[in-house]
Amino acid sequence: MSVKETVNEVVRSVLPITAAVILLQITVVRQPWSEFLIFLFSVLMTMAGLTLFLIGVKESLLAIGELVGKSLLQSGKLWFIVAFAIAVGFAVTVAEPGVQVLANQVDVVSGGEISRYLLVAVVALGVGIYLALAMLRVIFNISLLKLLLVGYILVFALAIFTAPEFLAVSFDAGGATTGPVTVPFILSLGVGVSAIRGSRTASQDSFGFVGLGSVGPILAVLLLGVIFK
Amino acid sequence: MAKLFAGFTQTIVDVTLAFLPLIVFYVFFNYFYWKLPRRQVLRFFRGILIAFIGLTLFMQGVNVGFDKMGKAIGSALGGASYNWILVPIGFVLGFVVTMAEPAIQVLNMEVEKVTGGYIHNKVMLYFLSIGVAVAVALSMLRILLGISLWYFIVPGYLIIFILARKVKPLFVGLAFDSGGVVTGPMIATFILAFTVGSSEAVPGSNPLFDGFGMIALVAMVPILSLLILGALYARSEAKGKEGERDAVRQRA
Repeated sequence: MSVKETVNEVVRSVLPITAAVILLQITVVRQPWSEFLIFLFSVLMTMAGLTLFLIGVKESLLAIGELVGKSLLQSGKLWFIVAFAIAVGFAVTVAEPGVQVLANQVDVVSGGEISRYLLVAVVALGVGIYLALAMLRVIFNISLLKLLLVGYILVFALAIFTAPEFLAVSFDAGGATTGPVTVPFILSLGVGVSAIRGSRTASQDSFGFVGLGSVGPILAVLLLGVIFK
Repeated sequence: MAKLFAGFTQTIVDVTLAFLPLIVFYVFFNYFYWKLPRRQVLRFFRGILIAFIGLTLFMQGVNVGFDKMGKAIGSALGGASYNWILVPIGFVLGFVVTMAEPAIQVLNMEVEKVTGGYIHNKVMLYFLSIGVAVAVALSMLRILLGISLWYFIVPGYLIIFILARKVKPLFVGLAFDSGGVVTGPMIATFILAFTVGSSEAVPGSNPLFDGFGMIALVAMVPILSLLILGALYARSEAKGKEGERDAVRQRA
């Protein structure tokens, strides 16, 4: 995609939401116009930002994900693959702004009994372990569906025993860990890992890493809820 | 105009932190394993810099503009006598917000690259948008009627696992990935602010939990909609007519 195409694409993807907001502003919302002017400027900022992000992401996050995925599998050392997957899952999750927000919310929900650091650590470990599972799945040819099914059965089983406040938070955790930096990286990691495995299963193995990565944090928060109860 | 840059330092810190681990991993791998040529390393860092500036501007725009408007829309509609309108408006906002998510665009690029056009970009985008739209509309319904999240989540995942057995593995991976992909910064600020705003305006609801519930639904319904897309592909392929698939493409 050329720069011009990217700009076109971005304008076309941000305009609909902008039009909807403008229409609502005129008909029912009626924010002060000085506030609304700031919104209009922020739209321009958002468009410029999204364009630059998409241009930069191809040569950075997508490239590194594929490279890392390929060299991990070529290294052939199982312990290294598992250790790396846990480390990278842990690191990107700790750094995710959405997870910090989640930690604050859990602090509120648990009345301060679950500290921010504990929650962030547990959720990040959840992502790391599931990312390692995602790698092992491709290597040992385990069905993604089975792995997901076991994960979600565990989720619903734990849900029965956990403190009720933690239920809603736990599903929120799955979404909070997958931010705009993490997703391109993990997506391309999957593409890189499966490219090594040969063309027959490459396309179907490429996806599922992000999905598995979201199960880990849900389980992690539910477990905390069971212990907290 | 100073308001446009309110909290800009925090945005810069957040985005820097998000990029940091990956830069560290890159430097580590390059030093020990890849030993890439200088030009390629420079290209990576140029890419990181551009993506960093882009994401910072994007997040700042979303934080100062979309967040406030989302909340204002929610409270205005939730406080109105005709607050049932939250449901259709939620549907529309969910639909249009999806295309503006950065990760969705990236998913599109990767799907195009991996499947070589087997799954049409626009078709996938529409199915994802409809998924998010339904999820936001259901969240509004929950706020208005006070229905427990579990009446949606349990049957939802049950149907997901039944459907997932009937589609190609490619669609299973793609569908579950999309749950994480759609819950990006646009949903987590604009739609979350809209949800909290309307929940505060509707008596007897709990804004914190309604917000959680919305994210849970947005992470779930697109899985379902992409599996339905997968089932449509499977059906048209079972009939063995190439023309059928084109028909699906053209219709969407």
